[in-house]
Amino acid sequence: MNLLSVVTFLPLAGAIGLALIPRDEAAQHRALTLVVSLVTFFVSLGLWFGFDASPGAAEFQFEERYNWMSSIGIGYHVGLDGVALLLVMLTTILMPIVVLSTWNAVEERVKEFMIALLVLETAMIGTFAALDLILFYVFWELILIPMYLLIGVWGSQNRLYATVKFFIYTFAASVLMLLAILFLYFHDGNTFDYVAARSALHVSPEQGRWLFLAFALAFAVKVPMFPLHTWLPDAHTEAPTAGSVILAGVLLKMGTFGFFRYALPLFPEAALTFRPLLATLATIGIVYGALMSFVQTDMKRLVAYSSVSHLGFVMLGLAALSAEGLTGSVYQMLNHGVSTGALFLIVGMLYERRHTRAIAEYGGLAKQVPWMATAFVIVTLSSIGLPGTNGFVGEFLILSGTFLSRLSQAPVYATIASLGVILGAVYMLFLVEKVFYGKIENPENAHLRDLSVREGFVLAPMIVFIVVMGLVPGPFLAPAKPAVDRLVQRFQQVEARQGWPTEVGTVPTAIAARPTTPPGGPF
Amino acid sequence: MNTLPVRDFAALAPVAILAFGALALMLTEVFLVSGRRGYQAIVTVAVAVLAAVSVLVVPPAGTVFGGQATVDLFSTFVTVVICLGVALSALVSAAWLRARGAERGEYYALILFAASGMVLLGMSSDLLVAFIAIEIMSLSTYSLSAYLRRGKRPSEAAFKYMILGAISSALLLYGSSLIYGATGTTLFSGMHGGRGAGSLLLVGGLGLVAAGIAFKIAAVPFHAWTPDVYEGAPTPVTAFMAAGVKTAAFALLARIFLSSQTGAGVADVSFTNILTVLAFATMIVGNILALPQRSVKRMLAYSSIAHAGYLLVGVVSAKVEGARSIALAGVLFYLAAYTATAVGAFAVVGAMEARNKGDEEPKRPWDLDRYSGLARKNPALAFAMTVFMLSLAGVPPTAGFVGKLYIFKAAVGAQLYPLAIAGVLTSILGAFYYLRVIVHMYMKPAEGDEQPVTATAMALALGGAVAVVAILGILGDPLVKLAQAASAVVM
Repeated sequence: MNLLSVVTFLPLAGAIGLALIPRDEAAQHRALTLVVSLVTFFVSLGLWFGFDASPGAAEFQFEERYNWMSSIGIGYHVGLDGVALLLVMLTTILMPIVVLSTWNAVEERVKEFMIALLVLETAMIGTFAALDLILFYVFWELILIPMYLLIGVWGSQNRLYATVKFFIYTFAASVLMLLAILFLYFHDGNTFDYVAARSALHVSPEQGRWLFLAFALAFAVKVPMFPLHTWLPDAHTEAPTAGSVILAGVLLKMGTFGFFRYALPLFPEAALTFRPLLATLATIGIVYGALMSFVQTDMKRLVAYSSVSHLGFVMLGLAALSAEGLTGSVYQMLNHGVSTGALFLIVGMLYERRHTRAIAEYGGLAKQVPWMATAFVIVTLSSIGLPGTNGFVGEFLILSGTFLSRLSQAPVYATIASLGVILGAVYMLFLVEKVFYGKIENPENAHLRDLSVREGFVLAPMIVFIVVMGLVPGPFLAPAKPAVDRLVQRFQQVEARQGWPTEVGTVPTAIAARPTTPPGGPF
Repeated sequence: MNTLPVRDFAALAPVAILAFGALALMLTEVFLVSGRRGYQAIVTVAVAVLAAVSVLVVPPAGTVFGGQATVDLFSTFVTVVICLGVALSALVSAAWLRARGAERGEYYALILFAASGMVLLGMSSDLLVAFIAIEIMSLSTYSLSAYLRRGKRPSEAAFKYMILGAISSALLLYGSSLIYGATGTTLFSGMHGGRGAGSLLLVGGLGLVAAGIAFKIAAVPFHAWTPDVYEGAPTPVTAFMAAGVKTAAFALLARIFLSSQTGAGVADVSFTNILTVLAFATMIVGNILALPQRSVKRMLAYSSIAHAGYLLVGVVSAKVEGARSIALAGVLFYLAAYTATAVGAFAVVGAMEARNKGDEEPKRPWDLDRYSGLARKNPALAFAMTVFMLSLAGVPPTAGFVGKLYIFKAAVGAQLYPLAIAGVLTSILGAFYYLRVIVHMYMKPAEGDEQPVTATAMALALGGAVAVVAILGILGDPLVKLAQAASAVVM
């Protein structure tokens, strides 16, 4: 077992350990889960520092290969590229924070809750690490079970509806991807291995389009993209805080990651065909999510719709297929994990104190809970992309990357998407105002506790990341660069092979467009 | 043939072991009558294990009795799966019957007789042998479903089962006679030859035989008996029927279907078309009808119909040369996975039928509401049921997932895309009604304070079934290899 496999299965081993501890020992369950998730994090640091992001380095690192069900062609093959590495790190960092945040929030069936969390962590890391299509599918589906239980058992009032909707939506969208994977098997030299499949894949353009759609459907539901997003507000709202944080922080990224890793590089021709559709839906999602956030009366629902908007940015950056846009997308995946995760954490803390998510119930909290208000404002600023926070870097890269991309009508998409930024600022600042500023109208708000030390430890890392990733984005962008460059190259090769007009990459003259520059000169 | 065909008889050893085991159990009722009959279940399990071991240690003999039976790896695989079903359901029966004070040697004897018929069916390569095997199997299961005579339900179930079963046997027999008329032989291997090859007579005969088998595997539109019989029969019997009858009947279907495929002509095309239509109808109708069921037992009955549909997809996929080995191996693997899962699920249903006091049956013994809050009352039972439901729904990492993966892979490999798409889309419906059971167990508060029956035998059966489902799902490779080896010989 190499380091990556250890990181993947450590949480599962912890879950098995938890199963052996008697049910009544809730404190032990919490402590052991925290320890396991922390150890996983520290071990995963080895991945971070061991990853070679130089241009000549191997595409997939920490690779490991075993025969699993070799007679059906399924292998255990894992490895990380830079994007997967970043997402694995996001997962391992978020996990201890999530565990810490549920310390007092979950009182019932602590054992099962913690087991579900740890199984979920293994499944998430596995999804990012898998390099075998069936292995990927197995992890992808495995996520459904613990998440389904998290929402359904520990969620709030309307949880049954939400959790069944979540499961059916995702499951339904994934089964067609399974068929597409099986189809690939017979068209890429009888293997489920992703790396081999990608190089040997041989499908007709029409087949490619259908396969792309099958993959894209599964990923678009998970992202979620505009018309397929309706499960998200319900699932987010009804999930316990931990569930919402993981859902927003990691699960949604699996969809965008799926596009980046599977749908786009496997079927570049088809992806180019459907690119305007992706970009349009992404742009609609940005504006629609922002407008929907604006009218929500429930805090969690508001944040959920803001996720639709934020993930729209990520999808737009992917559809732009320029190095800047793709890099921005990857960065925005991390940002969204941090900032939306933090928003859900704070909303969860408020919920623990007041047991309501209705915005109208709050108001003027800043005086009572100054630390929490400060944290919330910082997170809000990150969410709306203020310069100096991580959100700015991501959104700027995506918008400029889109604007300068060769996607037809790119400036239109970029301009409409920029509206989303403004709308985002509006609804988030309104939320801050309604919840934290003004006078205390509701007497129940008069005696709220400020952040406890534990809660401080929950939020502090998030804030640190918001600032550090905003000021020093370099180290976080570096691992993604080789993967992004490879994807752009792959598309450029396809265009060259097909003899299609260049629609991938950045408009070269635009960067240097200055009135004094003679045409043709690079600078 | 003046000498006794020793080799041929030896090849049928598993059938004989099961039948003699049944006779021995009947004798115990005469000579060893005492209050406690717990040993009978143990004897049944031992006989099943012995039969399974006998086929595993003795190398397959190939065709015996002039081609009327074929003992090969395929039949070996089927035998082992059936014996697994026998052993698991005997354990379930022990707990279930004892709770009702209804343990009798006849019961286990009938199970073993039925199993001997099933095993013989897996070996048969002649229409008449198949017919005899089907009758041995069916007569035993008719009686088993009426085993608890009290109450309306069992007698209704048994009566329906017998009438419809008799019709299906008649169809099968009539179809056999038409095939004989067309080809001059009852051997499967002669089906594509003879003077009537490709004639309408042969097509009609094959159609009738297919209809007869479709009754046994509960394929739509020959499924109408299934819900009532499955619901009315004692739960361990239902478990045994769902697993064993299906396995044996599919083994027969696969053999006949492949024999009909060897010659190009009208016969194989029409047989393929019949099965394709059956597969579509069975997947769609089975899953849709399972959706509204409140009774878990009835839901599982419809689910068994739906699974027959997926298995049919596998059988149809076997028509394409390139996908044949995958398809047959997929069917075999699926049968093994389904056997463990279905017996396990029905075992939980049996445990949940428990009554609080007295001998009264609860009003709605299988209602979903009785499963509410099970996760609190009995976490182990709820966990086991969750594993079975996820496996039936085909969610990784369970045996059911690998089975579905395998079958759909065969369908895609055979380029039967509509069947594959219908398969995965209907399995979404499946996810919905299987999840509902989990929702009730984990997410709804308990109603009443009834406790499920828990006995050592039941725990053993459930533990065994969970282990099989999990191991096949995670480390199923050895079984896949066996299934592939087994499927290779049929072609």
